[in-house]
Amino acid sequence: MKQHKKPFRLSNLPNSLYVLFVVFIAASLAVPKFLTPGNLSNLILQSSILLLLSFGMSLVLMTGCIDLSVGGILSMTGVVMATMLRMNVPAIWAIAIGLLTGVLFGIVNGLLITKLRLPSFITTFATMGIAQSIANVVSEKRTVYWEANSSNSLIDTLGRDFIRIEFGQTAKEVLTISYLVLITAVVITVVMLLFNKTTLKSRVFAIGENEEIARLAGIKTHLWQIGIYAASGLLAAMASLLVLIRTNSLQPTTGEGLEFQAVVAAVLGGNTLKGGKGSLTGTILGALALYSVRSALSLAGIDTSVVMIVIGAVLILGMWLNETIQKYEERIVGILRSIVLGRNHGRNA
Amino acid sequence: MPKLLELQSIGKTFPGVVALDDVSIDLLVGEVHVLIGENGAGKSTLMKILSGAYQNDSGSLSIEGIEVLKNDPKKAEQLGIRMIYQELNLIPELSVMENIFLGHELKLKGNIFLNKRLMYEKAKEILGRLNIPIDPKTQVKHLTIAARQMVEIAKALSSKAKILVFDEPTSSLTSSEIKDLFAIITSLKATDVGMFYISHRLEELFMIGDRVTVLRDGKKITTKNIKDITIDELIEKIAGREITEIYPHKKLAAGEVLLDINGLSSEKFKNITMDLKSGEIVGLSGLVGAGRSEMARAVFGIDNYKSGSVTICGEKLVKRNPKVAGQKGLSYLPEDRKEQGLALPLNVRENIVIAGIDQLFPNHIINKQKETQVATSYVEELNIATPTTEKLTRFLSGGNQQKVVIAKWLLTKAKVFIFDEPTRGIDVAAKSGIYSLMDQLAKEGAAILMISSDLPEIIGMSDRVYVMSNGILAGEVRGTEITQEKILELAFSHVKGELITDETA
Repeated sequence: MKQHKKPFRLSNLPNSLYVLFVVFIAASLAVPKFLTPGNLSNLILQSSILLLLSFGMSLVLMTGCIDLSVGGILSMTGVVMATMLRMNVPAIWAIAIGLLTGVLFGIVNGLLITKLRLPSFITTFATMGIAQSIANVVSEKRTVYWEANSSNSLIDTLGRDFIRIEFGQTAKEVLTISYLVLITAVVITVVMLLFNKTTLKSRVFAIGENEEIARLAGIKTHLWQIGIYAASGLLAAMASLLVLIRTNSLQPTTGEGLEFQAVVAAVLGGNTLKGGKGSLTGTILGALALYSVRSALSLAGIDTSVVMIVIGAVLILGMWLNETIQKYEERIVGILRSIVLGRNHGRNA
Repeated sequence: MPKLLELQSIGKTFPGVVALDDVSIDLLVGEVHVLIGENGAGKSTLMKILSGAYQNDSGSLSIEGIEVLKNDPKKAEQLGIRMIYQELNLIPELSVMENIFLGHELKLKGNIFLNKRLMYEKAKEILGRLNIPIDPKTQVKHLTIAARQMVEIAKALSSKAKILVFDEPTSSLTSSEIKDLFAIITSLKATDVGMFYISHRLEELFMIGDRVTVLRDGKKITTKNIKDITIDELIEKIAGREITEIYPHKKLAAGEVLLDINGLSSEKFKNITMDLKSGEIVGLSGLVGAGRSEMARAVFGIDNYKSGSVTICGEKLVKRNPKVAGQKGLSYLPEDRKEQGLALPLNVRENIVIAGIDQLFPNHIINKQKETQVATSYVEELNIATPTTEKLTRFLSGGNQQKVVIAKWLLTKAKVFIFDEPTRGIDVAAKSGIYSLMDQLAKEGAAILMISSDLPEIIGMSDRVYVMSNGILAGEVRGTEITQEKILELAFSHVKGELITDETA
């Protein structure tokens, strides 16, 4: 039997790889403080929060839907956890209930979309507002603080560094990896393992490509969709936990706009709004690319209000790069080859 | 041969329609039982009752002598009934083996993780048994339509299958691919499965079928051994009347050149030079993937081309877009009429006027009454079976949908028509209607380019035939040279027999 090896193609790589590459080089050259151990530590920590959100987003996008409520869920579950800590509920319970809230909210999203057959964009747009408002009402729009005591020492512990390597005296010369990054690493490893080693990938791709095919193959499509939304809710609550531990307090508006960034990271990673395909590796690179941009801008002292313009531009750049690379792949490869081999192997040679 | 399945006195009524009336049919182990009839004759309803998608109102269904009560999709699946649908049901981003085992993946003992090695081995074994040379790890999006169809069969056989139903399996395959498919079906005859085979292509039935059942208007007309019936008798039974000539086109003296394609090249095709004259029907044959549709799309200005020129009625096209091509008198009836030819959610009237709306209302103010009047005249002229011009095109049969697309271009006063697979998935009577229309257009001085993978259609209708092979114009055949052998020889002249395409679409 003939063997067909999957041919290597530039366009098979996630376009977030190119964006990350371009952005990283540009930032390293233009902003001197960018490529320091301290900043990279910070970059990884910040991307962790977005990564959790965009992992959930990627799975939802693969099923052909979208979850705009992740930012709202982040705010809401954060306020739930912070308020309980303030009421001296033991940290482990506060966290458990916070995560459960995220799951339940995700299930509600899933039920509305599958059982009432509502479009996911509008449904999660509405629940985004609901979740954010709950956060505002419960917190009375004020940052929630709590007093450190023995019942919540877990929060303090999780906020510490797991690895700390000092290259010098100043903060920027210290490389730190906190437990938060470790938690994220474990979570995304588990999700990727499930994605690649269980039926998860074929389920989400089948549902996203054509729900009817999935149904005819005996797949319980509604159950899977609800499950995916629950996972997205859970990941948003986990992201919220990370924010809460890092800032040792919680601002009720902390999740606003994060759904936009989660979509950007996922789409840069090759997940389309049409569903039926996608890549989690791409999403990781996408999130890193996005935060490299943010970090470089803030280090360069550029006002934060400009950030969205740049992120929007990065998204467009990413999409364009992918299109272009697909279109001119043969020519690009030809040129590269002719440079390497020193003769012309181009298409029209 | 033992009886595998028996459907007895099946009746099914939908509001206002008797879809099936006292239909009895059986299936033997190892046979191919052909079901044939016009669209709406009840073939699909019968098969949907078999697959559990519909419930029969009366009659009974038994498998291997045991009556099946309350059939539903899940039960049918357990009973080993598998449908190979006309629309392919594969997930392009997943691999062949992931598709084959979709919904019943093999897992490692006692946990949720997939046993990819076993899935690979099993998939390889099934594909090997069917003689399909595809690696199970290939992503389906890299496969040709023909290869996908084969994977579809492998998928059906991966779980205990007893009865296979092929619904128009060859509608998007070329002759050589059909041969491969038939080899697979023939090899299945030697196993313990029975097969129903639905197709509109009559020649095929004689190649593959053992028995044939003709349905008309929900009633069974006859069941016969294929050996005991001729193609003409079959056509007569299907239509309920005698159709003397399916292909009405008689050669006329060709007039002036209306479409002149000169040295057209792009990534998908190279240096295509051809012309179309007034009063001519010119066939464009070739294998799927030979670049025929791509060339047509470029001519019509949908896709760009690198070099060459297109001249319509003596005027060279400078701007390349469909609007300009349309204004100059060119029309394109795409292969996929549901996706590209029609706006399915719109009604007959809206679809007919959509392309000619600028000509109809030069000052851009729309008059619905005038639209209705124009649409009605075309509905009458082309014999489109629709109660009113307000009916949504989604609810029309394939043949009538095609006629709406033709009406749309007639309104723009098109002189050159490019028909891409004009009769795919259309029944015999409707096909004959489309052919008469094409003949009529040619008689009125239009020039027609007909792209088709149906060789009898190409041979029956064309004055001349161009054959493309792997992006190259392999040759032109005329008159008595137009034979199956000659066309196939040209079609294969530049191919390298592959099941994997390079496209990533």
